Amino acid sequence: MAGLEFRNVRKSFGAVQALKGVSFSVADGEAHALVGENGAGKSTLLKILAGIIHPDAGELYWRGERLTMTSPRDALERGIGMVYQEMLSFPNLSVTGNIFAGRELTRGGRLLEHEMRARTRALLDELHLAIRPDARAESLSAAHRQLLQVARALAFDCRILVLDEPTTSLTDAEADHLFAVLEKLKREGTTLLYVSHRLPEVFRMCDTITVMRDGAHAGTFPRTEVTPDRIVRAMVGRDLPPRAEHESAAARAPVLAIRGLTRGPCFRDVSLTVSAGEIVGLFGLVGSGRSELLETLFGMHRPDRGTIALSGTPIRLRNPRAAARAGIALVPEERQRQGLFFNLSVRHNLMLPGRTAQGRIVIGASEERRESRRLLQEWRIKAAGEDVLPDSLSGGNQQKVVLAKWLATSPRVLLLDEPTKGVDVGAKFEIHEIVRRQAAEGLACLVVSSDLPEVLALCGRIVVMHEGRVQGEIAGADATEESVMHLATAELKEAS
Amino acid sequence: MKKLWRVRELSTVAILAAEVAFFTWYLWPEAGRAHPFLNVENALLILKYSSIYGIAAVGAAIVIISGGIDLAPGAVMALAGVVTSGLFVQEGWPLAPAMGAGLLVGVVSGLLSAALIVLARLPPFIATLGVMGITRGAAFIITEGRYFDVSSKLMGGWRPLGLPADWVAPLVMVGLALVFQFLMTRFQWGRSVFAVGGNETAALFTGIGIGRLKTSVYVLSGLLAAVSGVVLVTVQGQGKADLATGYELDIIASAVVGGASLSGGRGSVVGAVLGTLIFGVLRNALPQIPGATFYDRLIVGLVVIVIVVMDQMLLKKAD
Repeated sequence: MAGLEFRNVRKSFGAVQALKGVSFSVADGEAHALVGENGAGKSTLLKILAGIIHPDAGELYWRGERLTMTSPRDALERGIGMVYQEMLSFPNLSVTGNIFAGRELTRGGRLLEHEMRARTRALLDELHLAIRPDARAESLSAAHRQLLQVARALAFDCRILVLDEPTTSLTDAEADHLFAVLEKLKREGTTLLYVSHRLPEVFRMCDTITVMRDGAHAGTFPRTEVTPDRIVRAMVGRDLPPRAEHESAAARAPVLAIRGLTRGPCFRDVSLTVSAGEIVGLFGLVGSGRSELLETLFGMHRPDRGTIALSGTPIRLRNPRAAARAGIALVPEERQRQGLFFNLSVRHNLMLPGRTAQGRIVIGASEERRESRRLLQEWRIKAAGEDVLPDSLSGGNQQKVVLAKWLATSPRVLLLDEPTKGVDVGAKFEIHEIVRRQAAEGLACLVVSSDLPEVLALCGRIVVMHEGRVQGEIAGADATEESVMHLATAELKEAS
Repeated sequence: MKKLWRVRELSTVAILAAEVAFFTWYLWPEAGRAHPFLNVENALLILKYSSIYGIAAVGAAIVIISGGIDLAPGAVMALAGVVTSGLFVQEGWPLAPAMGAGLLVGVVSGLLSAALIVLARLPPFIATLGVMGITRGAAFIITEGRYFDVSSKLMGGWRPLGLPADWVAPLVMVGLALVFQFLMTRFQWGRSVFAVGGNETAALFTGIGIGRLKTSVYVLSGLLAAVSGVVLVTVQGQGKADLATGYELDIIASAVVGGASLSGGRGSVVGAVLGTLIFGVLRNALPQIPGATFYDRLIVGLVVIVIVVMDQMLLKKAD
């Protein structure tokens, strides 16, 4: 039965055609995946479905009935619930306040607090969420804030639940919880439209998979009749080159050596080494202290105890500036907030760290232009020139800008925090290639990632952290999903 | 969340109480003489002058909670005062319609700010800076350097609603503070103000009518500033164009001292009013300390910094 139908939907932003006439349908009650590289037009399509933007042409139908929506409120009232990738919560409001924001239960304008709290509690129970209705959103973990979005969508009659990359910031266990909730909703007849880069999730959750490429519909496949490779080919429109084999890092003297590094309460007694040409993975669940460790290595926090040595010389990092000058670069986790200046052109973004690291005060504009053009070309960053703002780049290309700006400083140690979070398959592959190439040229790389397949594919050695301590180290062929996860969750299992 | 708000306002009350206790002790008179600070008349005086700031601070707090800022209140107070006193003294209007015209000035200037922010998409700082200039300028154009003597026409026996004139302004302030505290915490409108100030993007995606909400907020701020202006001319007795110069910053400071966060989403109307009382007590007591006259601006500045820093440390601890 036809549930939700897109008919020849078109949308342009200026000269850019975001949607070039997209048609496909989502059967009533199924779980339908929407996949595609960044810039394929998924977000535009979702925004149309949410009533935030209006198509230039084309129509939407629900059970044969035309859907016209002029505002987000319209979409909500028609039973379209959205769970966005960015966590659009109100940090200053309570859980109840978040769930009912904009749709408060009122009598004569007056809030019915008790009723809303009771309904919130029932909803949280139903989703098996152990959070208090009165807790403020900002006090919740990332995962709970994400699930709060689901709760918000479900608080009112929801016939179509749209999820945009809902697991980006969730650990596997938390994602499992989300999937259990989604399974239940599906059984109860809710239609799911699921957007994700993570193909394993898509294959686990969804009945049908629609692929978009360059603003057009590239195919719809029943899950049972398609392989992940086929989907990836449809997404990128070409065959991916085979994965490069690990190059075993020669047993060289470590470039980065940390010993007994402690910063309460984030991490304790961490010792590890990274040699020139080595890519070391730092894996652990969210909250295991990985990001804090990288930030400390980059001089953002001072350790309570322990030493950091660079090529055998102990160093004290008073601030990130000192770290950059010592040859340490950090590609941070949140490129939107921590990695890029959205008010500055790509050229200025690319040139900033170099200036800091080299302490050069004057750099000629033409030299800068030449240099940034070279970087854009070298790292194959798709941008309409070096003077555009980072806004106009896709997520993957933005991430490459962050990477390139640090590589331009010729660092000795490269710290990467979730380097491919939220980027598409093609860009992910390219970012991996960049890191491998740099390592081959002698750079010492330390990679934090929650994406276990990525860690396994990229890193020759994996250090596993749990609750701020190094749980163990696995190298080469011993590293499998099972062995790493076993270490990362060891204590959890003992405790339960 | 509710608990936290209650605690936050309590701490403002505690600061106020500590301040009153300090001046009571410091200004304790020699035996047999009346206390110069701690007496009913002085308390009424503090309340009366504070209410000029306090009424406008209610509006300022709401604007700040919505994530905006309003720089116009001082100038709107002047223009509303000038219009009211001009119509009353010069044109011979009865007092009530003259006051109504003054309040209308506030609504119009609030609408102007809202139009610039919502329709022309100017940052609130710039939009209200412009409106501040326009309203202050209009006040000068109307008065042409004159002043309207309200006090001589009102005379001593003025008893609005059968109350002593001195009581009216504090009562208006307390009434408005309670009404808007209620609206902000118990009504959908107030909840939406907090939501927009907390995360405007999320508010948009949630279907909250952001334009309409912001319009209501700036119109209210203008209206409440106009109420302050009308109160000011009746208290001070003169309508002139340079009334309330620089008050906007004192009002913003009061709201911040009362718990409002300039990044939006946080604050309280009652807290803002208590904040104006903290400053009112300082302005009243400092001149009574021999030699302190020249220090009062400096002390007020220090107090703002100390209270806000303390507040942030407490917030951090609470997390």
